Amino acid sequence: MNDNAKARFNGFLLSAAHKIGLFLAMAVICLPGLWIVLASFRPTVEIMAKPPVWIPRDLSFDAYIAMFSGVGQGGIPVIEYFRNSVIISVTSTAIALALGMAGGYAFARFRFKAKSSIFLGLMLTRTVPGIALSLPLFFVYSKLGIIDTHFGLIVAYVALNVPFTIWLIDGFFRQVPKDLAEAAQIDGCTRWQAFWQVEFPLAGPGIASAGIFAFLTSWNEFALASQLTRSVNSKTLPVGLLDYTAEFTIDWRGMCALAVIMIIPALVLTFIVQKHLVSGLTSGAVKG
Amino acid sequence: MKGWRPPAPFLLLLPAVLVLAAVVIIPLILSLYSSFTPFRLTQPASLYTFVGFRNYARILTDLEFWTAFGRTVLLLTVALNVEMLLGLGLAMLVEKATRGQRLLRTIMMFPMMFSPILVGFQFKFMFNDNIGLVNNALQSLGLTNQAIPWLIDGSLAFFAILVAEVWSSTSVFAILILAGLLAMPKEPIEAARVDGCTPWQTFRYVTWPFIMPFAYIAMTIRSLDVARAYDIVKIMTDGGPAKRTELLWTLVSRTAYADARMGLANAMAYVAILLSIVFTVYFFRKLSAARTQIAAEW
Amino acid sequence: MSRFLAGFAVGALMCAGSALAADLPGKFEGVTVDAKLIGGQQYEALYARIAEWEKATGAKVNVLSKKNHFELDKEIKSDIATGNITWCVGSNHSSFAPQYPDIYTDLAALLPKEEIDAFVPANIASSTLDGKLVMLPRAQFDVSALYYQKSLYQDDAKKAAFKEKYGYDLAPPDTWQQVTDQATFFSNPPDFYGTQYAGKEEAINGRFYEMLVAEGGEYLDADGKPTFNSEAGVRALDWFVNLYKAKAVPAGTTNYLWDDLGQGFASGTIAVNLDWPGWASFFNDPKSSKVAGNVGVKVQPAGSSGKRTGWSGHHGFSVTESCANKEAAASLVWFLTNEDSQKLESAAGPLPTRSAVWDFNIQQAESDPYRKEVLTAFQEAAKHAFAVPQTPSWIEISNAVYPELQAAILGDKTSKEALDAAAEKATQILEDAGAL
Repeated sequence: MNDNAKARFNGFLLSAAHKIGLFLAMAVICLPGLWIVLASFRPTVEIMAKPPVWIPRDLSFDAYIAMFSGVGQGGIPVIEYFRNSVIISVTSTAIALALGMAGGYAFARFRFKAKSSIFLGLMLTRTVPGIALSLPLFFVYSKLGIIDTHFGLIVAYVALNVPFTIWLIDGFFRQVPKDLAEAAQIDGCTRWQAFWQVEFPLAGPGIASAGIFAFLTSWNEFALASQLTRSVNSKTLPVGLLDYTAEFTIDWRGMCALAVIMIIPALVLTFIVQKHLVSGLTSGAVKG
Repeated sequence: MKGWRPPAPFLLLLPAVLVLAAVVIIPLILSLYSSFTPFRLTQPASLYTFVGFRNYARILTDLEFWTAFGRTVLLLTVALNVEMLLGLGLAMLVEKATRGQRLLRTIMMFPMMFSPILVGFQFKFMFNDNIGLVNNALQSLGLTNQAIPWLIDGSLAFFAILVAEVWSSTSVFAILILAGLLAMPKEPIEAARVDGCTPWQTFRYVTWPFIMPFAYIAMTIRSLDVARAYDIVKIMTDGGPAKRTELLWTLVSRTAYADARMGLANAMAYVAILLSIVFTVYFFRKLSAARTQIAAEW
Repeated sequence: MSRFLAGFAVGALMCAGSALAADLPGKFEGVTVDAKLIGGQQYEALYARIAEWEKATGAKVNVLSKKNHFELDKEIKSDIATGNITWCVGSNHSSFAPQYPDIYTDLAALLPKEEIDAFVPANIASSTLDGKLVMLPRAQFDVSALYYQKSLYQDDAKKAAFKEKYGYDLAPPDTWQQVTDQATFFSNPPDFYGTQYAGKEEAINGRFYEMLVAEGGEYLDADGKPTFNSEAGVRALDWFVNLYKAKAVPAGTTNYLWDDLGQGFASGTIAVNLDWPGWASFFNDPKSSKVAGNVGVKVQPAGSSGKRTGWSGHHGFSVTESCANKEAAASLVWFLTNEDSQKLESAAGPLPTRSAVWDFNIQQAESDPYRKEVLTAFQEAAKHAFAVPQTPSWIEISNAVYPELQAAILGDKTSKEALDAAAEKATQILEDAGAL
């Protein structure tokens, strides 16, 4: 009896500690970000105040109104930037996932010569710092005439994300037991059908997290975008952030407002994709 | 098993290899060539003068370069380890939560949604000695009456950069480890519990080996992903003051564009690539070892 | 004979040129002008006028890129490196222009003299490289003047205490020595600081450069050799070092760039602040600044040589040498810098580069005392303005010198040691570039 109460008490303590820990962790994660969100609604005089103003006194949408009010009234072509960002990130993520699934499947399911060297070689393409790439890439792109186009940036981002998606998806395919697909094939499925009906759903969490990663990487990438884009034809949101900086001044509130505009789609997408992380798991449980 | 034809993996990998060749390999060969020239952006003709290993010789004897090199290794090592520990803790906290999983996971990835440029500005303003949030908070709480020069003192600035870097990248570890935890079969844990293992033993001998590959994947990804840290450091300190926080990346990019000495910068970049390769191969080995271990156990 | 004919042809061309000049912007039916422009809120209002120019001339403008100034610099360098100067009009800046001397054409040959004479002569001088007018200045001229908190100078207790200590009346400073005295006097760290300065990159080097000139020194001598490690150089650098030692500037100042400085003064924790005209309205706007209504502006102080500081720069537009239709491009450049354009742009705060627009703006500000004070102070400041040394290696030298300046300010090295090391690096850079 006593033991039982003690165990229950311990359980309670543990769960309380867990809740507190979780809350603290989330607070630390959110604070700097929320401060940015908050800054977009506050006049600069409150953001950079000393003594500090902890409780906002004067919230307004001024920065957002200014952003959309056109060139000359503090506006920037945010709609075009947004459009470019969406087209480029979504397309490049989809392609990177498709190539990643093909490549990951090849590594997880086939034996071939020099497999691990090829794998390592693919990964090592990611070790090249952007700065060593940016000028030669610019050179190649300008010869091909694809500077300042969606296509150019999409190709670059696919290359940026592919090693990573291959790797991650490979890892998840490896954890899907081989015999499942084989069993399906014995049941009369083609290899192609077995892949889509058995292995693909089981590797769901991996594909979902690779997808989020690829999307967020493309969505926030700056170094290559600043070199390969030039005008509203292809400039993406991260490059657009610099529209708020002049030679000697910076509109921090405006930058924060644009950051909020950037975060919302990423947040929504992440929230939606979370479901697939779970569904991959539940279908995994089915096999048990 | 007999259904597949030999060229299948080749066909499957071909598209990825093509894209990588076009975007990475060809430019890489060009920049390797230019690292043997005194190429200056503003003097295109200098691309055709060959100077052999002069750029490399210069770097090898350049104390500033090696200081930056050492500092970069230190930052990577510390940051990666801290991020992994925090990411592991975070993933386990979130995995244990019974309610609000989707919300928690979304919040967990919140920092990844901020463009590194913005993170740089945010942390620069936060660590501003005069009007920054950190000093304001410390002073309001009465913990100090000094204006702590966060971005000036060499080790404090290193710390400030580390905080910004850890904040923005711990999510990468957390999400990958969480994905690993989710994909993990429950039977071995049940079995361990039945066998009377303590929670620590269960974690150490069952959970950890299983999620280790994911941790190594995250490590490798992060050690490669230099661009993210570069944008942050560039804005926070740009290697200063007096080169106290100079990293390879800030040095290379300043030499390349502001100084327009592309040839020299590319030589530096190649040394930086070597560093990344060493890190990558190291983690890759670890990863293979971890995988074999799992394969042996299950 | 053929030479005579050629000369005649040139003469005829020049006649044609000036005939065209009389009715600028001219007619360019069917011509397309490719342009690279500096982007960002502060700069883009002007580009709305491009449509007017298109209507007047029948030409089209195709904007290839709009970027932040530093990104644009990178892009132009990439274009030079890859032989891609396929465009006609580019935004330019007086501090960056010497880096790419060959790609831009002489505008003086394309535009009538009376139009060029309408600009402030000092601005034209700093737009001229080796006798070539490489750009027309737009109404984005920058020189720093001294902003200060007025209330500090009206406080009788402070006045008495100051007189007691330093032996002269407390008034907005006119020499850098006075700035040092007052900054030390006002400072009360960590809550309040006397002054601050930009501490990194080209910014600190520029500040050091102007202080050096004010102390009577020279950055590069007549042969282009670095001479900033002179006695004047040590005096100039000591000014920064001593303020830092006296804790009269925030400890973080060596990591400050312009954004930090502007935010710092606006937070009301800095007494006097040498800063750019772009901040004038920011400082006096209650929504962005705590010192709104309490801001005074004065011409920048003088150094021990009696010369005032005055590091300056301005944006402009250039026409490339490889441009197919230079007349059309020059007409666009003229249009974007003409009186109407400058009035439009300077109405928002930036400083004009045409004498007539200066007068017009000051007249316009008659009913706004703060704006009038700002304009008068900056007009005076502009008289003492000077550009950076016209060497293509200026930015590279800056990058080599600034860590040494920081080392001296932070106390890692003495001023002399730091400057000697910096001069050595600068000499090496100039030698590598083939300038020495």
